Amino acid sequence: MKAVARSVTVTALVTVLGTGAFWCGTDGFKAFTAETARRADILRTPRPLPAAILEDQDGRVFRLDDYRGRLLAVEFIYTRCTTICNSLGAAFKQIRDRVPADALGRDVALLSISFDPGHDDPANLKAYGTRHGADGEHWRIVRVRDADQLQALLGAFGIVVIADRFGGFEHNAAIHLVGRDGRLAEIADLDAPLRFADRLREAL
Amino acid sequence: MATYAYEHRPDHGAKAGVLAYLATSAAVLLLMMVFGLLMRLEQAQWISIGADRFYQLMTLHGAGMVGIAAIAGASVMWHFLRQYVDLSSRIFIANLVLFLAGVVMILASVLLGRFHGAWTFLFPLPGKSMGMWSADAAALFMGGLLVIGVGFLLLHLDVARAIVARYGNFARALGWPQLFGHDDGKAPPPTVVASAMVTIVNVIGLVVGASILTMMLVNLYVPGFDIDPLLAKGMIYFFGHVFINATIYMAVIAVYEILPRYTQRPWKSNKVFLASWTASTLMVLFIFPHHLLMDFAFPKWMLIMGHIIGYLNTVPILVVTGYGALMIVYRSGIRWDMASKLLFLSLFGWAAGAMPAFIDGTITVNYVMHNTLWVPGHFHTYLLLGMVTMVFGFMYYLGKPDHETDDRPIDRIAFWLFTSSVLGFTLSFLYSGKESVARRYAAHLPEWVPYDRIASVFAVLVIASALLFVGRFFARIGLARHDYQRAPLARAATA
Amino acid sequence: MINAATRAGIGLRILVALYLLLATPAARTWLEATMSGHMLVQIPLLAALGFIACRLLPEAWQETLLAAAGGPVPHVVVALFASTWWMLPRALDEALTHLPAEAAKFVSLPLLVGLPLALAWRRLGSIGRGFLWTNFISMLAVLGWLYIAAPVRVCNSYLVDQQESAGWLMVKLAVLLFAGWLASLFVGGHAECGASDITGAKAAGTLGRASPQNST
Repeated sequence: MKAVARSVTVTALVTVLGTGAFWCGTDGFKAFTAETARRADILRTPRPLPAAILEDQDGRVFRLDDYRGRLLAVEFIYTRCTTICNSLGAAFKQIRDRVPADALGRDVALLSISFDPGHDDPANLKAYGTRHGADGEHWRIVRVRDADQLQALLGAFGIVVIADRFGGFEHNAAIHLVGRDGRLAEIADLDAPLRFADRLREAL
Repeated sequence: MATYAYEHRPDHGAKAGVLAYLATSAAVLLLMMVFGLLMRLEQAQWISIGADRFYQLMTLHGAGMVGIAAIAGASVMWHFLRQYVDLSSRIFIANLVLFLAGVVMILASVLLGRFHGAWTFLFPLPGKSMGMWSADAAALFMGGLLVIGVGFLLLHLDVARAIVARYGNFARALGWPQLFGHDDGKAPPPTVVASAMVTIVNVIGLVVGASILTMMLVNLYVPGFDIDPLLAKGMIYFFGHVFINATIYMAVIAVYEILPRYTQRPWKSNKVFLASWTASTLMVLFIFPHHLLMDFAFPKWMLIMGHIIGYLNTVPILVVTGYGALMIVYRSGIRWDMASKLLFLSLFGWAAGAMPAFIDGTITVNYVMHNTLWVPGHFHTYLLLGMVTMVFGFMYYLGKPDHETDDRPIDRIAFWLFTSSVLGFTLSFLYSGKESVARRYAAHLPEWVPYDRIASVFAVLVIASALLFVGRFFARIGLARHDYQRAPLARAATA
Repeated sequence: MINAATRAGIGLRILVALYLLLATPAARTWLEATMSGHMLVQIPLLAALGFIACRLLPEAWQETLLAAAGGPVPHVVVALFASTWWMLPRALDEALTHLPAEAAKFVSLPLLVGLPLALAWRRLGSIGRGFLWTNFISMLAVLGWLYIAAPVRVCNSYLVDQQESAGWLMVKLAVLLFAGWLASLFVGGHAECGASDITGAKAAGTLGRASPQNST
């Protein structure tokens, strides 16, 4: 009987501990993938971003920190992409069109960052911008020339880029919101840009 | 040619677990019969409960009847198999406990959660209720089935363990050395062969069933995880068909064990017997597409397979068992009592019930017949006059006060009442099917009502006679536990 | 006795060598390059190493370990939780991007999956084993379906078509394992005695025996 009692006790203990571990490890049985976990984590604690030197479609060089004090929507793309980046571009356009014109540029900006600096020179970036209706001022298409800076930036945003078999890349696609304090504040699904835009307007 | 001699073995009383199984089955059976009657009365327009209630009753009736058929069949198998192998009482009881837990979940799902997607839980219906029941109610129903399935899986694994411990492996338990080699007369007894077959097919069926239930539970809450509806249908029918088929293969053990005690002749596990059980072990696994013959979206080869195997599988065990029973009884001087009469009747019911399925298994017939009451006609004959009658025979046998006791007149009357009213009840299903009465309650024309009224009257009589059978069982339940000779000696043997 | 001990020693050394081989960056990169390699080769191998290593321990140690943690059931539960953890897409990603997570994987799979399973296995009896097998197989099939049917890319580190091929592999593996398990019931073993010896007394004599499951 003692052995049975011990077995029951230990089993109960293991079950409680195991369930607890899963609870913590999946953010309360909500985040089973790294992507959902990343989003939940950032919502709880906005994440500081590393410094990065950016170059835009017109060859202008500036810093990510220059956007401090404004709300910044960020997406990660590469210009040869024929699939998901087009959805990202379309989503960004919808968001841009929904932000009040007077706030655009003054309080809100959009940034498409390429993770393929080797191929995406300003000319390619410009073509991508034109294709999706970016004005090049309030919505700029940029690349990060320094490889270390790019890696640090991707790491901070939680973007994983892997080469596919067709010379392109697969990457997790989402819309990111950087707050006025320069911290990554929220990650949204790219299939709900209007909701994102509405929240952006509320934050103005 | 091997010779077989009847070897008298002391008659064991039932363990408390077996009686608990039978009591549960009997009580649920009567309740489900009443639910069935209510459905018939609704169609007969004698009562008015509405479509929602109708489908709730239908869901409960289906799940409940399948459940108690399995529970009652398992009790027959377990009771007799215990003579040959070392079975675990704890697992046997655990299965009943899990079964009851599952029943509570299913009742709550239907009565409180208003789930009425039929016991077949066909994908995607449970998840697409149009607001008639919640996802939680559907999950509770499928969770209940899952819990019941886990119990049966445990039971069958225990049977497998015991059989392997005694006979080494399943090939020997199915008598393959004797079937494919020299028949030395040492093949395992029919009970073991049948139990081995049921265990194999049910373990496969239950694993498939558990898989599709889990998939549907995931899909219920995260619809993004798509299920191919054809795959789901195939898996559900495979599981359901194997599971309900297995009930009669378990219950028939009562015939194999009890009739020889009445005639003092052995039930031989000869080559023909072994061949039929081995053939059915395989065929039962491939027969389910005969329910999908009018489903043009299924791959053609599956339908043809269902057609052919549906035909073939009607034959082996049924014919071999029927012929075996006739041989055992013929000129044996058997003294008929309730137990032996019911067991003999059950073989007729099994054969009669298989015939409509045989006819419906023809693709061209199936197109017009399958969605009519013809199919309920088939499985009510097969289960009520076959499977349930075997269980009634087993109950009478266990409760028989001693081997010389004669049946009371009221039991004799109940026997004939039961036989005739079940025939009337099932024939009104079959006749309705012939007249193309739809199986869907939503479409029920006024000109069909007379059949429903006739069926309702017969259903009342079926319930009345079943009530007497069950009452007699409960009145004698104290006797069922004791070891003593129950079967009267045949006149040929005493002479 | 000495012979057995040396054999166990050699066996353990081979296992450690295999373990270290798996831990080399080259082997890791190679196996973790695809989802199938990661989930269906590396992870099972790590658990198997723990299982076999446990078998090579002296019998008395195994018994002590088993008894200390309360018999087979808690061990199985531990293995269940630990193995389920590494089936989470999130855990796979984590192992690829964070070295501590990778280290945790290399430690937990042998110690918390292989070892407890090996300790519990012998004492489970055939019902317990059959129950574990059948459940494992149907869950493997369901997991495979989850990976095939997932509407999103579940792992940031793997291409979406890898997740589908890993899913199909799991389904196929489940079918194969199940067929193999069933087939194993049909071969081998030996009858307890002459199959014709079916007297009730014989069976009645063995009925009183506790079933193997009760031995805890």
